[in-house]
Amino acid sequence: MVKTLLLGGFRPAGGLQVGESTSGERQVYSVSPMVARGAKKALTPDAFGKFLRWLSQNDEEAVREYQSIRMRLVRYFVHKGCPDPDDLFDRTIDVVVGKIDECGDCPSLPAYCFGVAKNIWRQDLRERNLAQSVDPEENMALPAHPEPSFSEQELKCLEHCVEQLSPSDREIVSQYHQSQGHDKIETRKRLADGVGGLNALRIKMCRIRKIFGFASLPV
Amino acid sequence: MNEITDRGLIRQYLLGKIDAQTELEEKLSECIFTNEKVTDIVDSVEDEILENYLEGSLDPTEKDAVEKYFLQAPERKEKLRFAKLLAFHLKKKAFDVLPHVSFTQAGSWYSHFRTYGMLAALALVLVASLVYIGGLQQKHAQLETQLAQEKEQSSALAKQAELLQPTIVPLTLVADRARGTESSMPQVEVKSSTRRIMVEIALPGASSGAFDVRLENKNGGAQLWSARVSPLISRDGDARLVFDVPADAIQSDVYSFLVTSASSANQSARHYDFQAKLAN
Repeated sequence: MVKTLLLGGFRPAGGLQVGESTSGERQVYSVSPMVARGAKKALTPDAFGKFLRWLSQNDEEAVREYQSIRMRLVRYFVHKGCPDPDDLFDRTIDVVVGKIDECGDCPSLPAYCFGVAKNIWRQDLRERNLAQSVDPEENMALPAHPEPSFSEQELKCLEHCVEQLSPSDREIVSQYHQSQGHDKIETRKRLADGVGGLNALRIKMCRIRKIFGFASLPV
Repeated sequence: MNEITDRGLIRQYLLGKIDAQTELEEKLSECIFTNEKVTDIVDSVEDEILENYLEGSLDPTEKDAVEKYFLQAPERKEKLRFAKLLAFHLKKKAFDVLPHVSFTQAGSWYSHFRTYGMLAALALVLVASLVYIGGLQQKHAQLETQLAQEKEQSSALAKQAELLQPTIVPLTLVADRARGTESSMPQVEVKSSTRRIMVEIALPGASSGAFDVRLENKNGGAQLWSARVSPLISRDGDARLVFDVPADAIQSDVYSFLVTSASSANQSARHYDFQAKLAN
């Protein structure tokens, strides 16, 4: 594990106190609501190393698998509208590591992790709903999304990224974002015809944006 | 559920609209988690929601869901910020490339430039037209000068030609009216160069003494010219009157010389008719 950590390839999960299992596989793990987030139980190197060995006996392969699980779980928490997906991922891994001896016969570790993550999300949702009901002001104080200010550095960086695109992709990005109203609809329809439809165009734009390094999820 | 193609359903899922439908929500979540192929579709629906949010085209319910659910994750906030950054950058770039499209002031400058350009082009056309017309007028003047010179030369040549033409034409009259016939009436062609008509009248028998000669028209109504002329007598005794009359009074008509003896009243007057023709 030390070797893979030195490689800087992944962010190890933090610790979290694990509650008792209460039901079947999907409800096996639950986080104790009595435990504050700041009072997480530290994940020991031995426990995490054991988790990696469970993923694969090969270090590099184990890290790749860990990264894959992490990416998918964080994306799941993002999709579920969680304010702190990384924290929920840490909590999920803590639970999984804490129960690693019990799930040694699981056919699919990612599926097992996902099962735990679902429970973590539901628990988090309950906690947030509870917090909002106790303090309605929190709901009212939801941050608005004011117009951001952009630094010259950011614009230069973006300019550089745009220049790295192929001429055709650059043209698509430019045209996709220009025009207003009816002209925009017509422009996008024309672009869509060129790439195989509107959905294909949206997917292409999504992939181009990912090239910029502003993908929604960290890799 | 192995694959999701319903973008509307994914949209509802991403906005938290089906969280309460546990079975459907779990199936969708599991599908997205296990199927990497769905990732692009889900991400593109995310982008679409952000675009709609930035455009302000979401209905109030969806807008509320975006702000209270969809944008809770820092990654999504960063994605929104990037979308704004990209839009800002592209607008700035569009301004740099096509300033007249984005800004009224720039458009006004372009409009003025276009107006001035048109005026300049119009002025250029006018100047070119004036130069062209001036050239035509100059050429026309040159041609007129040449034409005048040609006319003068032509006139001079005509005068020279006139000088070359004979100024006196002969007219010989042998038979008087009593002996002559209409068809055999002598003719004289009077040209513009003709100044005088040299007339020779053969007198019958032996004639002596002077004769009064008058030129009158055929009807005898008007006397155009008259003179007393002495005859010329040849060795054979033939007498003839030779004289000349001015041609300027002659028109195309029939005229007659009336010849009477100035010394003998018994001799009858004789008419010598002739046909005058003016030639151009």
